[in-house]
Amino acid sequence: MNIIETSALGKRYRRKWALRDCTLAIPAGHIVALVGPNGAGKTTLLTTAVGLTRPTEGTISVLGGTQAGAPEALDRIAFVAQDAPLYRQLPVRDMLRVARNLNHRWDQPRAIDRLEQLEIPLGQRVGALSGGQKAQLALTIALARRPSLLVLDEPLAALDPVARDDFLASVVEAARDEPISVVLSSHVLAELERVATYLIVLTRGEVRVSSPVRDLLETQGAGLEEIAMRYLRAGAPSSRTDRPSRTDQPR
Amino acid sequence: MTTTTYTAPATGRRRPVAWSRLAWVTLRQRRGAMIGLGVFLGLFAIYLAVMGFLQDHAYAQVAACNSGTVRCHQLAQAFTNDYWGGNASVLLSGGAQSVSSLLYVVPVLLGAFLGAPALARELSDGTFRFAWTQGAGRTRWALSTLAVPAAVLVAATGAFTALFSWYYRPFLQDHQVSEMLPLGFTLLGVAFAAWTLFSYALAAFFGALLRRTIPAMALTLVVYVALATLTALDIRPHYMTPVTMPTASVTNSTGWVISQFAKTPGGQPVSLNYLYNHLPASVQNSQNQNAFTDWLTTHHYTQWTTLQPDSRFWPFQLIEGGWLLALSLVLITGTVWLVRRRGA
Repeated sequence: MNIIETSALGKRYRRKWALRDCTLAIPAGHIVALVGPNGAGKTTLLTTAVGLTRPTEGTISVLGGTQAGAPEALDRIAFVAQDAPLYRQLPVRDMLRVARNLNHRWDQPRAIDRLEQLEIPLGQRVGALSGGQKAQLALTIALARRPSLLVLDEPLAALDPVARDDFLASVVEAARDEPISVVLSSHVLAELERVATYLIVLTRGEVRVSSPVRDLLETQGAGLEEIAMRYLRAGAPSSRTDRPSRTDQPR
Repeated sequence: MTTTTYTAPATGRRRPVAWSRLAWVTLRQRRGAMIGLGVFLGLFAIYLAVMGFLQDHAYAQVAACNSGTVRCHQLAQAFTNDYWGGNASVLLSGGAQSVSSLLYVVPVLLGAFLGAPALARELSDGTFRFAWTQGAGRTRWALSTLAVPAAVLVAATGAFTALFSWYYRPFLQDHQVSEMLPLGFTLLGVAFAAWTLFSYALAAFFGALLRRTIPAMALTLVVYVALATLTALDIRPHYMTPVTMPTASVTNSTGWVISQFAKTPGGQPVSLNYLYNHLPASVQNSQNQNAFTDWLTTHHYTQWTTLQPDSRFWPFQLIEGGWLLALSLVLITGTVWLVRRRGA
């Protein structure tokens, strides 16, 4: 089963294409690293997969053929947007209750256990949590929904090194313990290298590579970071210029 | 990582998340705003209740005294001065006239206060990315987010109208004013709740459109003032064909006067303005206040008044409440449509 499958997917914001001719098939059971420079279309691809963004052209299906954004897809995909938006004015306890009341499936003991382990007090206001705690709370809420697919958009961007390490450990633990696929995006591969089992490189709205990490390591005989760098360079406008000269013409 | 087996997507009809749970979410998130609404209307209600009791006491004396004596007349005059005009030496009374002027802007204040942030805040804070990706789905979420505060507003303003009607009753009874006059009309019956609902729906729509709370509030205020003024001046007078009757038989409480004119001895209608400008200079410059009317009478002109009579209060209330409700539903539908089509 493919957790995300796209065919000639494209998204245009006004006159600029954020994503172009994107054809992908991500198999289930992986921790997928979606890597690319800022503005490469990572967020657009992820928000399209969770049904927030409607594609301009092409098709996208999730969880083995369900239309992205369909009720069944919403039930089984948990999404944490960049900066982990949650209701800042609510105490953690009520934030949990809000999430619980917005979903069919909810594992309250699991959420409470996790927060206890993380030492996040239930009475604390969400807005008063540290960046790391807030990211962990968002992850806790996502996992309490018992999703089949967990989508995390730039989950590490706002975290300090220790919080990053803890967060990734939590993700790996969740992926190990249950049948869950994870897609994480980042503009820094080094962060994901340790945990990723599948790599997608996206530059300027186009897919450069989409492959299991094991295959890449076997065929290319180099470290993952170096392999990814090759694809990132191949997708760059030209090797030595800093200014990308982007044309919006279809290929 | 091991390959795992996945359960097939549930087939058959999927049961949507219950409305009661969605309503809980909305109530919890808007708790501060609801408390603000309660405090505001509550304080206003206490003021009206206290003034109402004092008024009732004073009015009982006026009502008991119907012998037509000078003393009775003075009593009635004093009551009007104190409680309508606001000369009562009690509380910080501005009198019913000022109170009703103040209440005139309350629908838009409440509507904008509750409606504008409903979606604008989610959109500006980015929390819509959380709310719209939960199992409930964004359409049901939007309906709950819009409908729950709307229901609370209508209930609260409806109850408030009941209290205000009780407070306002002596002035209607005492032939002071017609309940059809724009000021009273929008605060009585269903109009107050309907204008509040409309303001709310308008503010929510602008909030979803502009994605920012303060601009949505400002725009709501502008549109509300424009539409409320237009309604009072140009729309409401046309709900039903006005009644024309001799000016002599019109009192303060007959109805809402739309226009006045005269008829020539031959029965041709002619505007008072026109007549006034064509009067002999002796009449125009006369110190006698009744000179104009006297002149009309001696020259066999008759004076007429076009008005909407008080007996049409409820039909007019229902017409106004009806189109405001329809407009509110259109705006709420439009807001849900904006939510459905909006991307990340």
